[in-house]
Amino acid sequence: MKVTLNWLKEYVDFNWTVEELAERLTMLGVEVEGIVKQGGEFEGVVVAQVLTAEKHPNADKLSVCSVMDGKGPRQIVCGAKNFKPGDKVPLALPGCVMPTAPGEPPFVIKVGKIRNVESHGMMCSGKELGLADDADGLLLLPADAVVGQPFAQHLGRAGSDAILDLEITPNRPDLNSVIGIAREIAALTGNPLRLPAIKQVESQAQATTEMVDVRIENSTLCPRYVARIIHGVKVGPSPEWLKQKLVKVGLRSINNVVDVTNFVMLEVGQPLHAFDYRLLQTTGMEKPAVVVRTATPQEKITSLDGKERALDESMLLIANSEKAVAIAGVMGGQNSEVGDSTSNLLLESACFNPQSIRATSKKLDLRTDASYRYERGADVGICEWASERAASLIVELAGGKILQTPIDAYPGKTEVKEVSLRFQKVTELLGVEIPKEQMVSFLTRLECVPSLVTDSMISVRVPSFRVDIKSEIDLVEEVVRLFGIENVPSTAPRGAIGSNVFDTIFDQHNEVRNILVSLGITEAQGQTLISSQDWPGEPEKVVSLKNPLSSDMNILRPSLLPGLITSLRNNLTRKTASVALFEIGKVFNKSNQQSTENRNVAIAMTGPRSQIFWQGADRDANFDIYDVKGLLEEFFEHFGIRGVTLTRREGPTGLYVESASIVLGKFEIGTIGQLTPVIARKNDLRDAVMMLELNLDLLVARRNAARSFKALPQFPSIRRDVAMVVPESITHEMVSQAVKQSKAPNLELVELFDVFRGKNVPEGQKSVAYAFIYRAMEKTLTDTEVNAAHELVLGKLKGQLNATIRDN
Amino acid sequence: MSFLNEVEPLKNAAMEEFSKAADLAALEQAKSSYLGANGKFTALLRQMGSLSKEEKPAAGKLINVAKGEMEAVLSKRRTELEMSASLPKEPTDFTLPGRRRTIGRLHPLTQVTNDIVRSFRKIGFVVADGPEIEDEYHCFDALNTPHDHPARDLQDTFYLEENQKKLLRTHTSSVQIRVMAKQQPPVRIIVPGRVYRRDNADATHNPTFHQIEGLYVDKNVTVGDLKGTVEFVFKELLGSEVKLRFRPHYFSYTEPSFEIDFTSPMVKKMGKEWLEIAGCGMVHPKVLQEVGYNPDQWTGWAFGFGIERIAMIRYDITDIRLFYENDMRFLKQF
Repeated sequence: MKVTLNWLKEYVDFNWTVEELAERLTMLGVEVEGIVKQGGEFEGVVVAQVLTAEKHPNADKLSVCSVMDGKGPRQIVCGAKNFKPGDKVPLALPGCVMPTAPGEPPFVIKVGKIRNVESHGMMCSGKELGLADDADGLLLLPADAVVGQPFAQHLGRAGSDAILDLEITPNRPDLNSVIGIAREIAALTGNPLRLPAIKQVESQAQATTEMVDVRIENSTLCPRYVARIIHGVKVGPSPEWLKQKLVKVGLRSINNVVDVTNFVMLEVGQPLHAFDYRLLQTTGMEKPAVVVRTATPQEKITSLDGKERALDESMLLIANSEKAVAIAGVMGGQNSEVGDSTSNLLLESACFNPQSIRATSKKLDLRTDASYRYERGADVGICEWASERAASLIVELAGGKILQTPIDAYPGKTEVKEVSLRFQKVTELLGVEIPKEQMVSFLTRLECVPSLVTDSMISVRVPSFRVDIKSEIDLVEEVVRLFGIENVPSTAPRGAIGSNVFDTIFDQHNEVRNILVSLGITEAQGQTLISSQDWPGEPEKVVSLKNPLSSDMNILRPSLLPGLITSLRNNLTRKTASVALFEIGKVFNKSNQQSTENRNVAIAMTGPRSQIFWQGADRDANFDIYDVKGLLEEFFEHFGIRGVTLTRREGPTGLYVESASIVLGKFEIGTIGQLTPVIARKNDLRDAVMMLELNLDLLVARRNAARSFKALPQFPSIRRDVAMVVPESITHEMVSQAVKQSKAPNLELVELFDVFRGKNVPEGQKSVAYAFIYRAMEKTLTDTEVNAAHELVLGKLKGQLNATIRDN
Repeated sequence: MSFLNEVEPLKNAAMEEFSKAADLAALEQAKSSYLGANGKFTALLRQMGSLSKEEKPAAGKLINVAKGEMEAVLSKRRTELEMSASLPKEPTDFTLPGRRRTIGRLHPLTQVTNDIVRSFRKIGFVVADGPEIEDEYHCFDALNTPHDHPARDLQDTFYLEENQKKLLRTHTSSVQIRVMAKQQPPVRIIVPGRVYRRDNADATHNPTFHQIEGLYVDKNVTVGDLKGTVEFVFKELLGSEVKLRFRPHYFSYTEPSFEIDFTSPMVKKMGKEWLEIAGCGMVHPKVLQEVGYNPDQWTGWAFGFGIERIAMIRYDITDIRLFYENDMRFLKQF
C-alpha cells in the first residue's frame, strides 16, 4: 500500500525525515519497500511579507528590506520598485534553485553582499519563477496569502512529498489506510492522532428511510450496512488537491463523487460505493429497496469493468427488488453506475464477511481495492464515520444536500472484545523486564482502553479496527513492537541438548555423499517434479499432481534417474563430455492408492572414464558397466553392506536396456544397468550411459559399519593360477560358488584376472583365469599341502562347471 | 716372481676396460674376462700356489689391493651405467600435464546445509526430518493457518491428484508439528529439507527449493534466546562482521513474529542497507496447545530460512536455477 509523507502529517505530528520515518515504520512491523521522493515545484520559495523597505546606502536603484518569511525577519536587497511594506511576495530562500532556460547553469540563491549589504534571499517576479514571460517588478500576492506557507501550496500546486510503498502483513487490515499508519506513528511518538473534522454541511429535511429501505438477508455475511442519500449533486472533475492525492498513491481520478469514495477508503480503510439513486428505483415502487442477499442460481451481473459475470449462490450481492446492482464488497454494477447525469446518490458504507468476499473475488478472478480490504477484515466500527466523512466531502465538492437520519443497519453488532495480559508473561517471553506502567502506556497509545489494571495484569477493550488482537499473546506482540525488538538483549545459546532419531541418519547420508565424492562422482540436485513423459514405468504407481504448473512437471519423481539423465544432457549440450553424477533424495511411489516416499541414491555416468591425457592406449575409454559396478563394490565395502547378489534381468526394463537387480537378503535394494538407447537418443546422449539406483533407507537400515581388527598374516602365501575354458553360461558367481563348495583349506583369496574369447577358444565358450592364494595363519604351507587343497578346487571346477583346465 | 709383475699392468688394463664399457652388458663381459672363473686376473691368482710361504703375505696383499681397486672402478661404472639406463631417452618435461584422478564435489546446497547444521549442533541442536508429502493438518491447520488462507490455494500449493487432502509441504514447519506431537519437551531440532511452492521457475524462484527450520521449546525460552541463537548461527555462517536486525512481522504460527535482515560490507556493496534472510518468532500458544504442550509451562521459538538464498548470498550466485541444472562447470566451483 502507498501513503505519502505529507498526507500522514495531516493526522499526526512528527519531525522525521522520510528515511527516518521509513526506518521507524519498518522496525514497527510495517516494512517500507520503497520510497519515491517528489521534488515539488518552487522548492525553497515561501510566501513572505515586506515589513520595511529603505534605500540602499550605496545604490540608488536598490532598496534594503526586512521581510517576514514566517519564522522571522530577513534582510533582503531588492531592485524592484513596485511594492511597499505590508505587501506579500514570493521569497526565494538561500539554497533555492531558480528556474533557468534550458542549457543554462542552475542559478542557486545564496547569502551574499550586494554593494556591501548582506542579502538573505531574493524576492521574486513572475518571470523569475517561470510563471510569466515577462514581468515588471515583484509578483504581488493577494492580501490573504499565508505568510510562511510554501509558495507551491499557496498556488495549490504540488509541493515536495515522498511516497512510501508499504508491505502490510495480512493480520493488520487496519494498516491499509493513511489514518491506520498515522495511528502507529502516534503510538510510537506519543503525539495525538488528529482525525479529520467532518464539516457540517447542509442537510435536507427528508429522512433517509422515506427514500429507501435497507434489507440485510444474511447478517453473517453482512454485519453492518450504512446508507446515506445525497440529493442534487453535480458530478464533475475533482479539485486539484484530491486528484493529486489519488494519483500519487496510484489511483486514477474519475469524478468528484467516485474520487471522494476512493479518498475516504484510502484515508480510513473503509471501502465505499456510490450508486446512482435513480437507477436503483423500480417502476411501481414508491421507494427502492437495497437488498443484501446471495445470488440466485444462474444470476448474472455486468460489473463496472464492463464484463458480464456469472454468479453462484455463495456470492453476496447488493440488489434492488428486481436485480443485482453490485457484487458486495468487490465491484459495483454497470446498471447503477454514477455518471455525469447522476444527481441523487445512495452512498454505501458496509461491512462484509472476509471469507465470503475472498471466495467471491477468487471465483470471479476479480480483485479490487475494496475486496482486498474486505477480505483481510474491515473495521465494522468505522462504517458510519466513513459514510458521514464521505457524504460531507461529496457535498463540499459536488454540492447537494444529505438526507437526514442515515440508515445504519447493524445486525452483526458484537460486544467489544476484552483481552487481558499478565505482565509476567511479557517478561517470560522476552527475557527482559519492562516496567508495568510502560506496558500500560503502550497499550493505551494503541487505543486499547484499560478496563482493569492490577499489579499483575491488565484488561483492555480492543478497538474494533484491531481484528488481529484476540488473545494475550497478541498483546505481548504489541508491547514488543512498541518496546522495540532492538531493545531486547540477546542471550547466549544455552539449554537442553536436543535428541531425534534422524540426527544420526543425517550423518549417514553425508557418509554416503563423502564416499561417492571420493570415488570421483559429483553431487547433483534434481527437480522433484518431473514430466510423466520422462518416466517409462507403470503410470498407476506414479504420484501425480492435481495442479501442476505444466506437463513438464506433473509427477513426483519415482526415481532419481530421470533428473540425472536431464543433468547429463545439460552437460553434454554444453560440451562437457565426461559426466559422473550422483544424487541423494526423496522418490515417490504409489501402492494401494497410498503415496509413499523414501530416500534413494542414484548414479549416472557417461563419456570418457578419465580426464584427458596425452598418451596411453586406454586413454579414450568410456565408462562401461564395470565402472559403475566397481563403484558399487567400493561403496558397499566402505559403507558396510555385505552379501549382495546381482541378478540379471531378462530383456529391457523401464529406463534400462540391460540391467540387474541388486538383492540384499530378502530385499531388492536397487538396480544397476545401462540406459536404453531410446531415452539416450531423446536426450542427445551419444555415449553409453551407466546407471545405478539404490534404496538408501534400506541401506542405512541394513548396513553393518562395525569394524574389528584382524591380525596381519605372519606367514607367506602361495599362489596358484588357473586358466580354464568354460561355457558362456557359467558366471563368475557360479565359479565363486563352486570354489566355495570345494571347501579347500587355507584358501585365502580368489581373484579373477582375465577373461578371453577368440583364438583357441571354441565358440560359445570363454577362457577365464583365476589366481588362488593359499595361506595359513599359523605356519608356512608346504607345496604338498597347497597341492592337496588346490586339487579340491580343480576337481570341483571340472566336475561342477564342466571346465577344461588349460595347461600353460 | 714374474707373475706378480703382471698384476699392475693387468689391473690397469681392466680398469681402463671397465671405465670404457658402453653399457651394462659390456661391463659384465669385461668383468668376467678379468674376474670371472676363466678371467685373466683369476688366472694370475692361481699362480699364488707357486710362491713360497714367506712370499705369500706380501703377494696376497698386493693382489687384494689391486682387486679392490678394480672392483671399485667396476662398481662406480656399474652405477653410472644403471643411472643412464633408467633415464628416459629424452629428458622428462615436468611441465606436461599429469594424469589426473577425479574427485567429485558436494553440491553447494549440501555444503551450505552441512555448515548450517554444524553451527547448530555446536549449541545442542539435532537434525530431524519429516515427509515431503504432507497433509493439510501438519502443513497448515496445526500451524494456526486460517482455513481460507491463500497459501492453501491450488494457485500456491501443489496437491496430489489421487488424494486431494495430500499436498507437497510448503515449508519445513510441518516437521515442528510431527516432532512435537511425538516427543515431550524440551525439543531442540533443526530440519533441513525440500519444500514446494507453485511458482514458475525464474532467476529467484524454483518450484522446489530447500529450507532449514529451527525449533527450540523448553522452560523459560525467550525472545532474547532467539536473538542470541540466530546471531550466533548467522555469524558462523556469514562471517563475524555481519549485523543482524529483527523487525516485527506476521506469521500465523509464531507470535510475536519477526523477520531477520542482515547487513555486511557485501550487502552495502550491492547498494542495499539490509537484506532479508529469515523469518522467526515465538511459537504461538495455539500451536503448543495443538501438540499438547501447556503454553504456560513451555515456551519456544522457531525460525526458518531458505538454503538457496544463503548459498546465493555466500557465493554471489544470481540465478537459482543453476542449482538444479547440475552443470559440471558450476558444480566444480564449490
